[in-house]
Amino acid sequence: MSYRYLLHSAIYENALLRPRHPAVRFQKEELTYDQLAKNSAQLGNFLVDLGVKRGDRVGIYMNKNINSAVAIYGILSAGAAYVPLDPFAPIDRLIFVINDCQIRFLITNESRKDNLKEIIEKTTLEGIIGIQNDVEINVPSYSWNQIFRHPSSQPSINLVEQDLAYILYTSGSTGTPKGIMHTHRSGLSFAEWAVQTYQISSSDHISNHAPLHFDLSTFDFFAAAIAGATTVIIPEGITKLPASMARWIQDEKITIWYSVPFALIQMLERGGLDSKNLSSLRWVLFAGEPFPTKHLRNLMKTLPWARFSNLYGPTETNVCTYYHVAPLSEDSDEPIPIGIVCENTEDLVIDTEGKPLPDGQIGELLIRGGTVMKGYWGRPDLTEKGFFRRSMFGYCEDIFYRTGDLVQKMPDGNYKFLGRKDRQIKTRGYRVELDEVEAALLSHPAVHEAAAYPVPDVEGSNLIEAAIILVQGEKLSEDDLVKHLSGRLPNYAIPAKIVISDDFPRTSTGKINRRELQERAIKNF
Amino acid sequence: METQMIINNFILNELAKGRKKTINNDEDLLAEGIIDSLGILQLVAFIEEKFNFTVPDEDVVIENFMSVNALSSYLDQKLAAKH
Repeated sequence: MSYRYLLHSAIYENALLRPRHPAVRFQKEELTYDQLAKNSAQLGNFLVDLGVKRGDRVGIYMNKNINSAVAIYGILSAGAAYVPLDPFAPIDRLIFVINDCQIRFLITNESRKDNLKEIIEKTTLEGIIGIQNDVEINVPSYSWNQIFRHPSSQPSINLVEQDLAYILYTSGSTGTPKGIMHTHRSGLSFAEWAVQTYQISSSDHISNHAPLHFDLSTFDFFAAAIAGATTVIIPEGITKLPASMARWIQDEKITIWYSVPFALIQMLERGGLDSKNLSSLRWVLFAGEPFPTKHLRNLMKTLPWARFSNLYGPTETNVCTYYHVAPLSEDSDEPIPIGIVCENTEDLVIDTEGKPLPDGQIGELLIRGGTVMKGYWGRPDLTEKGFFRRSMFGYCEDIFYRTGDLVQKMPDGNYKFLGRKDRQIKTRGYRVELDEVEAALLSHPAVHEAAAYPVPDVEGSNLIEAAIILVQGEKLSEDDLVKHLSGRLPNYAIPAKIVISDDFPRTSTGKINRRELQERAIKNF
Repeated sequence: METQMIINNFILNELAKGRKKTINNDEDLLAEGIIDSLGILQLVAFIEEKFNFTVPDEDVVIENFMSVNALSSYLDQKLAAKH
């Protein structure tokens, strides 16, 4: 096999190696590697004919379907970068993203048609791909039928591995989305590492649970393509129904599952896992936020044949550390570590002054290596702030990404995750880790999920407020919980108010939306 | 008919508040993002209280919760069995 340096090369290689092997499946539809390569090449050639140039941005704005994979690989084949948009995002955010990185064309489908008119009016979009010609829309629109009449041989575009491959927008701390730029190299470095580490082969069925705008999806598509495996896209509707989700894993014979912990906890609680045959599962991978140990232990007991692995890394670095979960002891709810750094990744821990710290000391984790992003789109200021430069031999420098996460290396070499640097707040003059408060809340057996967040008080300092969800059928008073906390936290770290809720607001990627909780608390204050 | 109206009203006025003007009884509630995972929990709680029976986890599946029509025929069936 030749040296691979572009993300889409893998599907063209597999089209030769295993043309009839399924590459991607969605409900009853399936594309073999031969079909995926041909359709992607057709879309690529079509985009080139429209005038799309190397490095241009093309958006993907649709509910997931079989053509999601064609969209990704077709855009890459044209030499452009794909920008996945959250199909359920508020329209103002979509307009911001489209204008921010000057998306020229949008690949969409009928499901999003209602919003298109307004988006087109307020952006410089030049055309819409994936729907029939429509008089309502003021720019040219092109159907898939038109696209699939184009030549099916890979467009010949001169690309190098440093070329832009995709931009993922995340909410910045100020609320303005920022576009994280990944290159073919940074995407491939991660996907190739994943194939090796999880021994992925062509017989694997890899779930795609994450939305395309969430970085977990790059594993689902790119690692599968490198291994010649099958990506099975879970319909969005099913992701909201734990019992349907569990049955889907059974019916699709998923061998590698990858999602945020929340989806797994939902299945554990309400998915009826015992009554399903999930023996196909080889690996259960999770990332995005810490997996509360008591739920993880129960899940591991329910699926004793599967192995579990925690992947850690901000979107800016893809994944940078991993931990294959060792058997969990019954009597400790100590959070699992985030593990050791991936191959081709260098770690450094610094203090608040930027001085490197010896192993064992608590500090901010810095990461350098093949998987790190190119920078933030159009924001050299943020990019500069996000990187740390270490002078080498006085005449060159190493560039590390600052994760903003606090870690501590343990004697066995695994990193312990201690929370976000900016989740450390001051209350009444004391420094408090909000993640520690959450861990203490979760250590109560009746607490199912917990979130702690600061609420400004009248004196200009912060009070800590927390929201919890109780385990189904359990009852607990605020007083009892405070009693439980007082044995685990210093007095100043005990939340001033604890709200018991039915559920939390979540981000589109399934994480607890603490900012929304905080805003609600400030409103009620 | 009545069941459909009760469910349609609850989804429109509580779960899709401000986001939708009307909901078709056969509209796909989940794929279109009208209801999220939190919404499902609220919907189940509402049904349990309104119709006075427990919805088992195993019944909270796509076939029963896909649309207003699907949910009301599931409910009618369950309620008929109860009497």
